[in-house]
Amino acid sequence: MTITIDGKICSCEKGEKLLAVARRNRIPIPTLCHHESLPGQASCRVCIVEVVQQGRSTVTSACVYPVEEGIQVYTNSDRIRRERGMILALLHKRAPDSRLIADMCRIYGAPELNRVSVSLPGKCILCGLCVRACAELSVGAISTVNRGVTKEIATPYHEPSAVCVGCGSCASVCPTGAIEVTETADTRTIWDKTFPLVRCARCGAPIGTREELDHAARKAGVERETLCEHCRRRSMTDVLAAAYGD
Amino acid sequence: MTRTILVCCGTGCLANGSLEVADEFRRLIEARGADARVECQVKRTGCNGFCENGPIVKILPDDIIYYKVRRRDVQEIMDKTVAEGQAVERLLYRDDGGRPVLHQHENPFYAPQHKIALRNIGAIDPTRVEDYLEAGGYQALRMALEMTPAEIIEQVKRSGLRGRGGAGFPTWRKWQAAAEQENFPKYVACNGDEGDPGAFMDRSVLEGDPHTVLEGLAICALAIGAEEGFLYIRDEYGLAVRNITAAIADAERHGILGENVLGSGRRLKLSVVRGGGAFVCGEETALIASIEGSCGEPRPRPPFPAERGLFGQPTVLNNVETLANIPVILKDGGDAFAAVGTEGSKGTKVFALVGKVKRTGLVEIPMGATLRHLIFDIGGGIQNDRPFKAVQTGGPSGGCIPAHMLDLPVDFDTLKSHGAMMGSGGMIVMDDRSCMVEVARYYINFLAEESCGKCTPCREGLRKMLEILTDICEGRGQEGDIELLEELGHTLQDSCLCALGKTAPNPVLTTIQYFREEYEAHIREHRCPAGVCVKLTSFRIDGARCRGCTACARACPTGAISGGVKQPHVIDPAKCISCGSCREACRFDAVETEGREAV
Repeated sequence: MTITIDGKICSCEKGEKLLAVARRNRIPIPTLCHHESLPGQASCRVCIVEVVQQGRSTVTSACVYPVEEGIQVYTNSDRIRRERGMILALLHKRAPDSRLIADMCRIYGAPELNRVSVSLPGKCILCGLCVRACAELSVGAISTVNRGVTKEIATPYHEPSAVCVGCGSCASVCPTGAIEVTETADTRTIWDKTFPLVRCARCGAPIGTREELDHAARKAGVERETLCEHCRRRSMTDVLAAAYGD
Repeated sequence: MTRTILVCCGTGCLANGSLEVADEFRRLIEARGADARVECQVKRTGCNGFCENGPIVKILPDDIIYYKVRRRDVQEIMDKTVAEGQAVERLLYRDDGGRPVLHQHENPFYAPQHKIALRNIGAIDPTRVEDYLEAGGYQALRMALEMTPAEIIEQVKRSGLRGRGGAGFPTWRKWQAAAEQENFPKYVACNGDEGDPGAFMDRSVLEGDPHTVLEGLAICALAIGAEEGFLYIRDEYGLAVRNITAAIADAERHGILGENVLGSGRRLKLSVVRGGGAFVCGEETALIASIEGSCGEPRPRPPFPAERGLFGQPTVLNNVETLANIPVILKDGGDAFAAVGTEGSKGTKVFALVGKVKRTGLVEIPMGATLRHLIFDIGGGIQNDRPFKAVQTGGPSGGCIPAHMLDLPVDFDTLKSHGAMMGSGGMIVMDDRSCMVEVARYYINFLAEESCGKCTPCREGLRKMLEILTDICEGRGQEGDIELLEELGHTLQDSCLCALGKTAPNPVLTTIQYFREEYEAHIREHRCPAGVCVKLTSFRIDGARCRGCTACARACPTGAISGGVKQPHVIDPAKCISCGSCREACRFDAVETEGREAV
């Protein structure tokens, strides 16, 4: 079936998400809380677009909207530009230290909003991607706390988590780099907890925290990894070389 | 002969001591022994909806109804009414002309009402399934067992019933969509998470007629092919939780629900889930998340719950009042139900009429009645005969409707086209001493606290709207604030994830639309025309009007008012905290307000 995005006719399949169709057709729609591996948040609302169906126009978020035959989509109408700008301006008040948000405000012409105060210092936009990543990839050590205007992301009682394995999945999916990870030669510190780093048995490069490697081994039902990715591949080639000769 | 004494034991009457009254009746009846000429029984009923006049006692078959009954009145009622059939005049309601009203249906509060959802409440003992059966209960369920799902849905379609929880979505369409799914198990759920300040119709139904909700839910389950259902009830409604839980157990014991529904071989297992206290859990996807044990946050739709709801399975979620209409629709037929109401909104609606009206309470009237009828005929007009200013319909995310629109018919579409909404049926009436900016600020504050915080515009937008509104109320408003509030409001309406956020700006946008000059007075003149905003109001006593009755001086919490008896009183501005107690106390309209420069 086909839909029209900004005047361009795009072919797509039923149930596909609008954002995916737009991206395939090189029509840019900004996103913050969307991640290819963890779709469906729909919390940042930056990807809003106007969808016209049977003469009725509605605003919806492209990342979760399943396309339907014959819809007309406007990703950059006056209405969308105005509202997207307002959402970004609000996020800038929420996360004034984020370079990404500041840049997006400039690019998308967000209003200044000098009239109102900055909500909190920091970079977190509360999109919830880190919570999803931790729950699905790791152990569920962090969650949203409180609701409404007092909402935040934290470990239980703001104490170092008993279950966190220090894998850093949360930090790596964060769109604004709001989660602080510091590494020394032997340790990694995240969410106020410090983990020893395990080094590759062959080359000595750091391959992760001990808890993280144990967690992965338990999940996969195998022995804990002792080699880095590079050395693992090398050791495999050594095995193959020994088996099949040079 | 036999006389039945119905003692209202809804939450309001209980708080006023109705349990004592009921016990006293029982005690006196037992004390009389068997030789009494008149046999009598006492029943504790659900809420009669006229709570401000509780405890309410009704005597049948004489149909004499008493208000504000205390334990000390019981002996007299026994001697006169129960024994002789005579009325105790001092306990009767007085109508607007001061005449005593003997019967409930003659009371101006009840007379215009048309009860469908509330039909049994006040007439039966909610803790006795026998009472419900005697009132014709579970007959509709028996009928439904003989019908095909399509036939059941057809009747609901013909009735034109739309969801009473707020959105007004046609009930049959939800049922149809879930019935079409080939994915089992399916679930039914009842939304009893009534969270609007001032609304209590769902509580009243759950407390006063729990079996009706169970029957409606059971019929829905038959229509879509579900064998399991949940009633999500807010935990603050202790009596509702208790009565529904007991009703489920009773119905199972009588073979009405459970493993073998009325001997049909069908199964329906219902259970109660107690809400966690979040307003947003009234939103269906948030409610589903909450039942599943997750945090009560909405998720994007589609997929709609009819397709993927509870535990990922097809689910129909209906409001309490919606379900209470279902047994009547099946029993009397969809067409009979559709004969009441307007073209687009069929049947009746229960409103919680509260605020500055003379008579407050639960009112069930046909859709399409005017606001004027509701507020002035049923509500008896504004307290102290002050001018009517506005009515907030549909709870915190509804809108404020001004005086010149009093003749609007109340139905889903009319209210929506005027920026308000039916919502769950809250009607908060305001007089000329309500500041519309403060009203908007109050609601936005409520919503900012109750927002789940998942999506940006709701969480951050409400916070900023609250900041601006607070500034305006405290004299820090700026030029451009009204326009910024409108801009933020429109962004929220369009881009929020769920209905809470999308409707949250309604109080602000409607008060700006209808009372813009009040915002302007706050911002430009630092003046609150209604004399409510403390920092923008100072009080003064008009010496010519003051009779020196000392009422204001006695009401003043800071001792700021001086003056002898029968002498004009004076307010000391240095001590005055602008609370307005003196103005409330004055019976001669001598307390005036004026703007003052923001401090």
